Amino acid sequence: MKNVNRRAFLRTGITGAAGIVALSPSLVSAVSEPQQNFITRTLGRTGMNVPVISFGVMRADNPNLCKAAYEKGIKLFDTANGYQNGNNEIMLGNLLKDYPRNSFYLATKVKPAGVDSDGKPSDLTTAGDFLAKFNTSLTRLKMDYVDILYIHDIRNPEMFEYKPIIDTVKKLKKDGKVKFIGFSTHANEPVVIDAAAGLNIFDVILTSYNFKQTYVNEMNSAIKKASQAGIGIVAMKTMAGGGFLDKEKTKPINSTAALKWVLSNTDVATTIPGMTDFDQLDLNMKLLSDISISDAEKKDLILACAETGLYCTGCTKCLQLCSKKLPVPDLMRAYMYAYGYSNTRMAYSLLGELGTNDNPCKDCNVCQVNCTKNFNIREKISDISRLINVPADFLA
Amino acid sequence: MRNKILIGLLLTVMSGTVSAQDLTMPALQGYKKVLSYPVFGPDKLWNFINGAADTYLAYGFIDLHVAEYRKGKNVIKLEIYRHSDNTMAFGIYSTERSPSFRFINIGAQGYEVDGTINFFKGNYYVKIRTYSKSEKTIQSAKSLSQIVANMLKGETKMPEALSMFPETGKKVNEETYINESVLGHKFLNKAYKATYEIGSDNFSIFILENKTSGEATETVNAYLKATGMDPMGSGSGKYMLTDGYNGTIFLAWKDNQVVIISGLSKDQSEIADQYTSDIIK
Repeated sequence: MKNVNRRAFLRTGITGAAGIVALSPSLVSAVSEPQQNFITRTLGRTGMNVPVISFGVMRADNPNLCKAAYEKGIKLFDTANGYQNGNNEIMLGNLLKDYPRNSFYLATKVKPAGVDSDGKPSDLTTAGDFLAKFNTSLTRLKMDYVDILYIHDIRNPEMFEYKPIIDTVKKLKKDGKVKFIGFSTHANEPVVIDAAAGLNIFDVILTSYNFKQTYVNEMNSAIKKASQAGIGIVAMKTMAGGGFLDKEKTKPINSTAALKWVLSNTDVATTIPGMTDFDQLDLNMKLLSDISISDAEKKDLILACAETGLYCTGCTKCLQLCSKKLPVPDLMRAYMYAYGYSNTRMAYSLLGELGTNDNPCKDCNVCQVNCTKNFNIREKISDISRLINVPADFLA
Repeated sequence: MRNKILIGLLLTVMSGTVSAQDLTMPALQGYKKVLSYPVFGPDKLWNFINGAADTYLAYGFIDLHVAEYRKGKNVIKLEIYRHSDNTMAFGIYSTERSPSFRFINIGAQGYEVDGTINFFKGNYYVKIRTYSKSEKTIQSAKSLSQIVANMLKGETKMPEALSMFPETGKKVNEETYINESVLGHKFLNKAYKATYEIGSDNFSIFILENKTSGEATETVNAYLKATGMDPMGSGSGKYMLTDGYNGTIFLAWKDNQVVIISGLSKDQSEIADQYTSDIIK
């Protein structure tokens, strides 16, 4: 075995460095001059001209990745007060402070406190809390203003009438701490976007939008209405909320095709795919010069739509349809534990808690459940329910 | 035949690596426990924590149980995130930790900040939050955190791998675990990271977990190949690389250990050597 000491380290180090320069490897020349012919779109009434690919920073922990994105020509960076408990904003602030403020756009989000699961505000939803969080964000970001402030996670139009928050964001805009105001939404989106389009409050909407949404017609209609009202549309969750279509994780979603599908809607100004590695960045950068969908990519999306995936969405519509009144969403969760996490113990434990037998569908000749995800409910229930007969010791 | 099917099913679905039970959220004296939220699986986590969900999913998120404790207008919210193992729980906890928080003795490690108590124990990451300014409510939140810590099963210690980091210059409570794409490279995964400050020098050390020396060699060779260098045989070695994205990289490995140092300049190889030698004996 090679003796690893300081001398050896220095010698191999020098040799290694020389080798890199001589071969001019891809990583050495990775950061190139930004292209000038990127596909850009105007973000509604903000007038911001942004490349169709922006950067969802939420998972990035390496400032060099954001730096590379900036140097390659990405303009809009998207973070939030809550991402990584603030560490995401801190990382981004430490990086962007070294760049001219007018050379990038920065969007962050603040989530009002005390909003319930239906998206309704409560006594805890106060201007003071919202403002304190926003000021914390500004401090972390080391900025005097942000380009876009989103109210994070609006799923109920009632929030638009809630003055403590709406008046606060309006005042922040008036005071110049925020250039443009918007909101993010990923539940009940068509209703919320449609309602916002009729108001003269928001400049930008950040919405989930992807090829697998079952309500895509409603989405297109709402997005069109908002766009025509001058509201800039930014798309997120473009990968349909996950990277794979099957329980074996052998069928990755064609991410390029998914992004192209989103951008085929010209009412969408830009997208914010989350990126954590340089390969993803390079792949997405290619879209800035070509967003036309090939036949092969269309086929991938059609096939992906046909895949039902592994996860129950918990819509609970099945509960009224099952003649045996089975807890179908919970049984689907048990199925997910077993096949998604390879965790039979959890599946077994849940089945025990539910109290269902080893073949709860046996008395039904025809399953009445028409799953919104096209799950073969009977097959999945029959499959997972057998687990209850396995001795617990086998599952330890 | 029936047994065959059952065992077949069992073999198909079980990995045998995780043992867990569904959770019963505890009571809190004087408060009404409200369970209005469903159990969130990976596909629904976005509905609860929005875009932050992706980070949780990257750390083996399994499910989230939520309860609220109400007493008049005062509300305490309890969130218990279950991850696939202890390392993953530490990983997600560490992404949200800041050395500026006030650390407390709970679980494996925890802290308090602005009405929030966060800690991890075993494969659980627990977050307790109140917006109330009432001292009584804040005390109740602290009591709840102890109840939950006692209720959850799992180890109450930090990952052993952290003890491999040399102490000199190490910043306290800044260690993290990165499950995917260390330094933004797909071929570098599963690393503990610590940050260092010595004089005006700031750098990071990554210790990559590898099950075998063969796996370590594959990792090293992937990096060498990406930087245009010839792959190495198995065993050990030390290299200085120029990574076009991350600058100068010092890379050392021996058997199944791989150590990467980022943030030092080319003329600081002695510092790099000192630290890698402390880790790789």
